[in-house]
Order: sequence, then C-alpha cells, then structure tokens
Amino acid sequence: MVAMNGRVFASSATQWCALALLCLCVATVTAETFVLTDVTEETGVAFTHADGSSGKRYIVESVTSGLALFDYDNDGDIDIYFLNGAPLKGATYDTAPKNTLYRNDGNWKFTDVTNHAGVGDTGFGLGVAAADYDNDGDLDLYVNNYGPNVLYRNEGDGTFADVTAQAGVANGHKVGAAVLFLDMDGDADLDLFVANYLDFTYENHRMRTSKGIPMYAGPMDFPPMANDLFRNNGSGTFTDVSVASGVAEHKGWGMGGVAADFDRDGDTDVHIVNDVYANFLFVNDGTGKFEEDGLLAGLAYDIQGDDQGSMGVDCGDYDNDGWLDFYQTSYAEELTALYRNLGDGTFDDVTMITGAGAGTLAHVTWGTSLVDFDNDGDRDIFVACGHLQDNVELYNNNAVTAARNILLMNTGNGRFVNVSDQGGDGMKVRLRSRAAGFDDLDNDGDVDVVVLNARGRPTILRNDSPRQGHWLQVRLRGVKTNRNGVGARVKVIAADLTQVDEVHSGRGYQSHYGSRLHFGLGPRTTVDRVEVSWIGGGTDVYRNIKVDRCLLLVEGKSTPAPVEAATRP
Amino acid sequence: MMNRSAARRHGKAQRRSESLGAPSFRGRKNVMRALALLAMAGLVGTGFLCVRLLQHSEEQPPEIEHPNQQTSDQVILPVYGPLRTEQEVAALRAREIELTDAMLHDFPDSAKAFALTGNLYYRHGDAIEATKLWNKALEMDPQQADLYGNMGWSSLKQGDLEEAIAHYRKALEIRPQFPEAYANIGRALMMAGRHEEAVEAIEKEIQISPGSSFAHFLLGQVLLQQKEYVRAKEHYEAALKVEPRHANAVYGLATVCAKLGQRDEAKQYSAHFRKLKTEARQDLKGRKADYDDFSETQKHAAITYINVGRMYRDHGQAARAEQLLKEAAGLDPNNVMSYLELASLYQVGRQPAKALQMHRRIVAIQPNSRICHFMIGILCAHFQQFEDAEEAFGRVIALAPKKSDGYRELARLYLKTGRKLPQARQLAEKALALEVNAANYFILGWACYATGDMKNASRLVEKAMALDPGNANYPRLYQLIQQRKAN
Repeated sequence: MVAMNGRVFASSATQWCALALLCLCVATVTAETFVLTDVTEETGVAFTHADGSSGKRYIVESVTSGLALFDYDNDGDIDIYFLNGAPLKGATYDTAPKNTLYRNDGNWKFTDVTNHAGVGDTGFGLGVAAADYDNDGDLDLYVNNYGPNVLYRNEGDGTFADVTAQAGVANGHKVGAAVLFLDMDGDADLDLFVANYLDFTYENHRMRTSKGIPMYAGPMDFPPMANDLFRNNGSGTFTDVSVASGVAEHKGWGMGGVAADFDRDGDTDVHIVNDVYANFLFVNDGTGKFEEDGLLAGLAYDIQGDDQGSMGVDCGDYDNDGWLDFYQTSYAEELTALYRNLGDGTFDDVTMITGAGAGTLAHVTWGTSLVDFDNDGDRDIFVACGHLQDNVELYNNNAVTAARNILLMNTGNGRFVNVSDQGGDGMKVRLRSRAAGFDDLDNDGDVDVVVLNARGRPTILRNDSPRQGHWLQVRLRGVKTNRNGVGARVKVIAADLTQVDEVHSGRGYQSHYGSRLHFGLGPRTTVDRVEVSWIGGGTDVYRNIKVDRCLLLVEGKSTPAPVEAATRP
Repeated sequence: MMNRSAARRHGKAQRRSESLGAPSFRGRKNVMRALALLAMAGLVGTGFLCVRLLQHSEEQPPEIEHPNQQTSDQVILPVYGPLRTEQEVAALRAREIELTDAMLHDFPDSAKAFALTGNLYYRHGDAIEATKLWNKALEMDPQQADLYGNMGWSSLKQGDLEEAIAHYRKALEIRPQFPEAYANIGRALMMAGRHEEAVEAIEKEIQISPGSSFAHFLLGQVLLQQKEYVRAKEHYEAALKVEPRHANAVYGLATVCAKLGQRDEAKQYSAHFRKLKTEARQDLKGRKADYDDFSETQKHAAITYINVGRMYRDHGQAARAEQLLKEAAGLDPNNVMSYLELASLYQVGRQPAKALQMHRRIVAIQPNSRICHFMIGILCAHFQQFEDAEEAFGRVIALAPKKSDGYRELARLYLKTGRKLPQARQLAEKALALEVNAANYFILGWACYATGDMKNASRLVEKAMALDPGNANYPRLYQLIQQRKAN
C-alpha cells in the first residue's frame, strides 16, 4: 500500500524491502517526471499586479485577480490577459494599474498589446472569461470587476470594442468573482454567469485585528450576494434572467466557478464555490432553469460537513472513469478538496484517501487545475498558494505570506503524490499567488503554467518535463452550436485509455484557460476514436487519429484538420 | 480542519490563531487544582472551627469575637480600562514577554517556567520560539506529556503529519491515556491517507474515552472513506448520542444513509443538518459581532499573569504571586481564576477576610459556584456573620441537593450558634442519609447532644470515631456526652 507521501507500509521485513525498492523507483521517476522552469524573465512580460491597497485593508484587495489564457488573434498560440486591481480609496499610483494583454510571439516572447487591443480596463479586476459570445469566430472577453463590469467584443483585427452598455451586462456596482460562459439553453449562443463575492462598500468596510495586529476582515463581515445570470439574446444583447432562472434565490460569498455537464445529461450545470459557506451546484434542467443541489450532491461541504473557505474550482476526470470530478482550493488549515463524481449525481470527498490535499493544509490556496503535466494519461494537480493576509507571520509564524505552489502527481492508481520539491525551479518560487492558468504556450505538446501573483510580477512556468508521453490537443469549432464548442464533451479513446474532457469558458480561480483540450496519451501512438458531443447538438466521431498534434474538429465534418501552429516547435 | 474547532474564522484567519488545545486542558486542570486547594483549605478551616464550636456549644451563647476588625482587611485590586490602540496591545504583549523573561531568570532550572513561556510564545503566534522553549523544558523534564501534546497539535495544524504523529506517540509513552492523543494520531493518519492505521489508533482512543463524541465521529469519518458504511453509521450514531447537536455527525449520517440506500433516513438527517447548520451560522454571526480582539488579548494576558503568579507562589514568593494575581484580576476582572488563586493564597496565609472578599467576587461572576458559596459559608461562620453564612450554605444545598456537605455545614452553623437546633438535627439527619461518613455521624451526634438525645448522640459519635479514629474532635464530644449522661 503506497501512501500519499510516497512512503510504504507493510508488516514483514520482506515486504518492507520490496516496497522500499519500489518506493525508490517511484522517487526516481518522480524526480525526473516533472520540470516546470521559471521563464518569466525571458518572456518580456513586465506586468505587475496592484491590489489598490493603501493600508486600509479593504477586503477586495485580498482576493484579486484572475487571468485569461486564450488565443485572441486566432494565430494558433495562446496569449495572456492579466487582470489588475485599481486604486482604492486612499491609494495613489503614478500610473494607474490596468489589465494587460500580452500577445504570444512564439519562442517564449510576449508583447504588450494592451493599448492597441483596447482592453486596458482600469476597473478593479477580479474575474475573467473569454468566449465567442457573438459567434463571429473570435474570442471576446468579459471582465468581472469590483464596480461596473466590461464586455470586450473582439473585432477580429487585433482590437476589441467595449460593448458593455449595448450588451447590457455592466451589472451595477458589485464585487465580482468568477465569470462563466455557457450555453444554458442549447440555443447555440453563450449565456453569461456572473458570480458575485459579497456586498462591500467603503461605508460598510471594516478591518479586523488578531492579537492586536491588523488583518483583513472575513467574508462573513459583509452581507452575501446572489449571483447573476444573463441570457444571450443572440443579437449582441443580454437579458438578466437571474430571478427567472432560479439562480438569484441563493445568496452566498461566490469565488471561483466552473460550468460543466457533471451529470452527463446533455446540458451544462454550474458549480460556484463560496467563501466559508456551502458551495452551490446549480443543476440545469436543460432550459436554463437551475436548481441548487450542492448539499445532496455532496459538493456543498467537505467530508466533515464543514463549509470551507473555498477559493477556486476546476473539473477534470482524474480517475478516467468518464465522469468529471471537481477539485477545490480553500483557506489555510483546510485541505483542498477533491470530489469524485460517482456518476449518480453525487460526489465523494476523496481528498484524504487519494492524497489530493497533500501539502495544502498550511496554505491559502487559489488557482488550480487537473492537468496532465507529464502526458502519461492521467491528470495531475497544480495548486497556487499564498496567504490572503499580507502580514500573517506577525501573528502566526507557522504560516507564510509568500508560499511555494504545489504540484501533485497522479500515480495512476487513484493516488496523488506531492512532487513539488522535484518540480523544477518554477516550483521553488515563493510569492502570493492567486490565479493560475494552464495551456500549451509554446505548442510543444505539454501544458505550461501562468500564475498571477498579488502585488507582484506573474510567474510563467515552461513545462520542461523530460521523457514526455504522446499527446493530442483538440480545438473545436461549432457550426450549429456555439462557435468555440463551449460545453462540448470530448472523449478520446487510445487503446486501453479512455479520457473525457469538456470545453469550459471560465474556471479555476476566477480565470480562463484550456479552451484547447489537451490529452496525454503515454506510450500510445494512435488514438482509435474521438467523440465530440456538442452542447445542444449531435455527436461527431473521428477515428484513427495520429498523435502529437493539435486538431481542429469542426461540427458535422468527419475529417479533422490539423492546426498549423500546433506543429510549430 | 476538523469539526472540533468549530470556530470558523471571522476573517478567514481569525479562527486560527487563538489557543492551543492542550493548554486549555491544562487550564482546566489548574481550575481543578485551585478548587482542590480551596476545598482542602476549607476542610482545614472547618476542622479548626470545629474545635472552637465544640467549646461554644457548651457555653450558650457563644463567645462573641470582633468580626468587623477581621473583615476590615481589604484587597485593593488594580483597575485597567480596555485596550484602545494597537500600540497598547503591543505594549501589553511586550509586558507579558518581559514577565516570562523575568520568570526564566528567577527560575532557570524550572522546566515548568520554560513550558509556560513556550505556551505564551505559541499564543503570540511564534510557534518557532515556542517549540524551542518546549524542547528546552523537555530536556529538563522529559516526562511532560502535555508539551508533546502541544507540539503535536502545532504540527497537525501546520500539516506536518508525521511530526504530529511522533509527538503524540511520545505523549502516550509518558501518559498512556493522554487525552485525544490517539484520536489526533488517527486524524493525522487519516489525512495522510493511512486509513487502516487511523482506525486502529482511533479505536484505542475510544477504549480510553468511550464517551468521546469526537473519537466516534472521527472513526465514522475514516470508515466512511473506507466504504464501511454500516460501521461508520454506528459510530456517527454514537457521537450523536453523546452530543445530540453534533452537526458534523449528522452530516456523516446523511452521507452513510444515502450510501446504504436508506433514503428516508438520509433525507431526515440532511434536513436536520441544514437546521443545525443554519443555527450554528446564526450563532457564529453573533459571536463574530461580539468578538473583540483587543479585549481577548487582554484576557489572555491575564492568564499569563495568573500562570506566572502561580510559579512564584509555588516557589514560596507569596508577595510577588499576590502582586501578579492582582494584576491579572485588573486585566480581566471577569476571570475567576485570579480570585480563586488569590483566595487560596490568602487562605494559606491566614488572611480569611481577604479570602472571603475574593470568594464574594467569584460568586458575583459565577452565582452558581458551589465551592465558593461553601467557602463563603465557612468564612462567614468564622466571622460570626450568621445570616450570610446561613444564606451561603442554603445556596450550597440548593445547587446540589443530593450532596451532604451543605446540610452538614448548615447544621454545624446552627449548632455553633445555638440557633434552630431542631432544624440542625433535621439537616444533620439529611446529611447522613445522603452520605455515610465520619463527619456526618459526628454532626448528627452533635445535634443529638445539643437537643438532649444523649443516647443517640453517644451511638453516633462512636460510629464517627470508628470511621475516623484520628480525629481529635470526636473523642472530645464523646467525652462531653458521657459527662452529660453521667450528670
């Protein structure tokens, strides 16, 4: 029996020796399996995050910001959009912080194109998602702020237009959180789910102390908020259906979220995690009406029945049983939580039995994803860490403000091992991480990482893991359904390995990434079958696919097309 | 982490830092210790008074002392206002450190001093220094299981599971029944994914503490993850039996019932869980609204002063101890521990008026403190404050009508003062009916003697002497009875 920390337990001396050898082998493999290299300096990315703080400790400072990894210019590589804070009352900056878009020029070089693109919103950025809401073939952006939100329509020429007002999605003056695009009613256009954190104003601001030392107040110091849902009218405008959809019935302290068809009934559901409150699972009836079912599904609380200080959430099929599981990050002295989808509408919290919370107890954890970093056919876990309090050491020197992130390797037998120490220099960085995004930034067939760090520069990690397995990446193009296949389910079968994934718009900690689905295949050199079930549409099947490439699968067409940029080294 | 620390953060961080589990247990031990000291002092006082009462009983009315002279001796306690600024809080924390530094200087060979200082640092959030001090204390006295418990808890909170397990195992080597050590080992093992070992450890905890709802709940958790649903259900139910509002156990039951296909039960438990959760949230909201960090800091500082005061008292430096305990009372006027310790100090120092003053302070805060009412009764009797003593013993009886000592002491008061003698006899009979012991035989014998029933008086005091041959008062009364009988 191999425990989560790699140690082996057995009773007899013989077993001890045998298992100790096995352990050694595992350790050796581990040491060579994951290498994430910090390449931030060479990328030209000079973005510096600002949280708008001035010592007053407004709660919104502590939770900013998200990021988006998406191909804004349709050139086949993934660009980076960082959200930024804004000066809060009492704060001054020589240059106002703004959101920043970096164009990926290839070879790990990025150029700041914010001004040209027109996406340098100076609002207080919290959450973001990219999606082709107008089905015109390019990805638009929605930014969820503390304050009015912004919808940027991609003009297809490298620029964006602020169409918030005409679209009707400014959403007042709230403290935002996650943003999710989903086709909730199967009508082929993407609707917009806007999560809200809490009801903060300068007037109801409060600060706390611990042992006399100032600290940020907690969510319960402020009233909760309901989330908002906008139906896409198909005309470039949206209608607020928060009440009609049932979503507004539930007030919480929303943070991260992900929209996914967890029950495989052909429509997209919404999972929103709350900060120190029961998490919400909005189950879609297929028409855009939602029923909150978190408690009965087993996702509202952790295994003890405690509401966690949940931060981010992502989904992925960690055990390759065909069902999407959820992984949630949380506050310090709480384990992150892995919820295994049992396929009957319920979940088991398997964090402890799988070791999926290893190393997380001491940290506040934020951005996360279930990603196959070593292309061995199962999903590993990355967890961004960094304390919410910027002075925690003053009243608890067991905790650290700036922390190392965590990398958990999926052993393939339902367990995770903490391999952060063997994960390359990129895993040694200590900062106050918040959002994290995961995509193949250099189109070399493995997934890289971008981390937004509060009050600092981001960390860009190149996946240099040796001895990679084979892989397949899939981009979708809807024809009858939404253009980028958001919500579509992809099943990849390669010999004995079957994997599933979905296209999500908005996930993790208030971020967006991974629209191009990535499947690690291990030693398998052929994919026997790829099935795409389009949301609100039919199913397409593709056979005998070559590996180590990125394919564009167009709805209704039986022949996959290689994506040129994907083959670029 | 676990449900035990139900306190959720206000701020996500607030819940984290406040106190160490094990020291709070030690706090309870100290309360018990103080109460025991008081009880002993009370008994000594009672014995001392008995001699005098026997003398008085022969000479009605008893000799009048001058209580006013004795009660004029007042304790002057400092009065501190609430802390108002972060600087004031920092200054108080600095004073605590200075205090413990001085203690370490004064008692460099005291493992306890190092342990206490470690606890202080831990409370101040300096776990690193705390661990050094605890280890130093353990070098001096390796038998301090509590310190291993502290370090285990600290490691557990930090996620150093192997370290936590090792510390708790050390604690168990020293004290095989160390409270919650096996449970916390089980918890750490569970978090490490070593569920079979966790079951083994938690079952040991249940052997030690069969009534521990925590251990039963924890075992339910492990078994749930091992898919042993029937056994998990049994343990959740056991937890709920001990603690009917254990929301986490109810959640566990909802989960296992669903797994077992017991849908109706699962629904009921889910509904119950929702209700408990809503109530708990309301309660938490109220507590958060009331929570005052500065005030809590001041209260914790008072505990430091009490602990250090105890150290000085234990080393025979009563004046310094008194000074520190008074400071503690000034810092937290609602902490009865400082008054209890002062009362104990005054009692031992034969300053009963001051002791009485402290007990009166305590019952003003804790009106149901039976021991303090008892002591007030004894001391008022000593000062011949009849009505006050009568009222105090009346409270003692009302607070625990099935215990004999209140009846006995009220009877003694009546006998001492020669008042309400028939009632004294009834009270003494009640005391003996509730508890057969030498003291109760004696008091009833005395009551019989006082009401002229020499036959029974003689028989009862004989029984008292047989049960407690070393008590010098009994033969004295016996002799009086025999003399009266002879006359």
